[in-house]
Amino acid sequence: MKRKLTLALLLAVTATSALADRLDDIKKAGVLRVAAFDSNPPFGFLDAQSRQITGLDVDVARHIAAKIGVKLELVPTNPANRIPLLVSGKADLIAANFTVTPDRAKQVDFSLPYFASGQQFISRKGTLATPAQLAGLRVGADKGTTQEITLREKYPATKVVSYDDTPLAFAALRNGNVTAITQDGSKLAALLANAPDKDKYEIAPFTLTREFQAIGLPKGEARLVKVVNEVLLGLEKNGEAKKIYDHWFGPGTKAPLPRDFRIGDKA
Amino acid sequence: MTALEVISANLDYLLLGSWPAGPLGGMALSVVIGLTAALLASLLGLAGGIVLTLGPPLLRRLVAISAALLCAIPVVMLIFWCYFLLPVLFAVDVPGTLTVIAALALIGGAFLTQAVHAGIAAIAAGQWQAGLSLGFSRWQTLRLIVLPQALRIMVPSFVNQWITLVKDTSLAYIVGVAELTFVASQVNNREQVYPLPVFATVALLYWLWCSGLVWLGARWETRYAGVGRK
Repeated sequence: MKRKLTLALLLAVTATSALADRLDDIKKAGVLRVAAFDSNPPFGFLDAQSRQITGLDVDVARHIAAKIGVKLELVPTNPANRIPLLVSGKADLIAANFTVTPDRAKQVDFSLPYFASGQQFISRKGTLATPAQLAGLRVGADKGTTQEITLREKYPATKVVSYDDTPLAFAALRNGNVTAITQDGSKLAALLANAPDKDKYEIAPFTLTREFQAIGLPKGEARLVKVVNEVLLGLEKNGEAKKIYDHWFGPGTKAPLPRDFRIGDKA
Repeated sequence: MTALEVISANLDYLLLGSWPAGPLGGMALSVVIGLTAALLASLLGLAGGIVLTLGPPLLRRLVAISAALLCAIPVVMLIFWCYFLLPVLFAVDVPGTLTVIAALALIGGAFLTQAVHAGIAAIAAGQWQAGLSLGFSRWQTLRLIVLPQALRIMVPSFVNQWITLVKDTSLAYIVGVAELTFVASQVNNREQVYPLPVFATVALLYWLWCSGLVWLGARWETRYAGVGRK
């Protein structure tokens, strides 16, 4: 249903899209509205002290807003309403751990990828070691994510249960509603690292896919895409991209993860 | 961290959101949405019910059809469509909070239209005849004789509808409005292992609010009944 709705929105948009350039609109408004997660550490989440949304995606968004020279406004989003927010014009960009896929490219444009990850699983210790074991299991996924789609399409014997976001899926795993949950490995590592009861769970030792995350933009905004890509490449060049990465995934963090992707690498 | 500490560390966020540093949220925003929507719904319902009773046939038809239509749409769908589709179709950008207030007011108003219409119909025909034979117009009869009695009958319907509205404010989460349920999920998702204390607190807050309404309704009813008995 969601896909149909987005399609309907899309049709309506293409019918009225001979409007002004979005980059000019953003400059005129003085505000860049970016859809970011509010519940997915460390990409976008509510900081316990400041009560503001922070995270890796937010850091990247901040640089884009600074480059355009406008204020950053974060629109809290979840995996399922990212694209509707963008398509209906409620947000100018998506910076929400947004994986590049050909299907999504029909509805939105992508910047260069600024993050890479792969689909992995968290399960109770000792219950999941190979992809073959997925058959017949109940696995929790986030609604509207590439992981959900991959499971449904390539692992038909797996019973997929969809949740609004990853922490909710993790709660279902704790309660025994599902045997495993799936997400990007990077996100799962951070989730597990923050879990007070992490000893009971583990990340299964296999990766299903290699995925690339990028900024999502409205269709046909070439100038906006150009600015965003310039910012991303600039961040890599001046070392800021590595600094942001290390702040969230570096050796000193709770979920250290070696950096195996650089902005500008071939996706 | 114990369950109690989780609640005490986040209570201000649950009650007020990121206010005063940021926009108002949490319970306070829920109350603002709930009260505004209840007020608008009551006015709409009163107007709609009166139109259904006294209005010209065409207008009556129109109100009846819109009310029936609105009663048949799930609130969450109406919010979703208003928020995501209106900007695309008509290039109007309605902020999330306003969308939710409008959707709740429309649907609440539709239900109350039926309740007001039924309440007026429940007043014996003799009251109308008495009014008209004293030389009152139909409008005067309604306003001075029928409506004061009908409103008394309708009090429970109004209170019920307000309580439904209060609970439906939680649907604002779908468009990212930071009301009580929305901020509670944010807190729950960060703390991860304390869903029970977090959502028990939320339940308690809604319960306090709704039982407060019930109490007010009961008081109002007895006062109104007292006036009527004179």
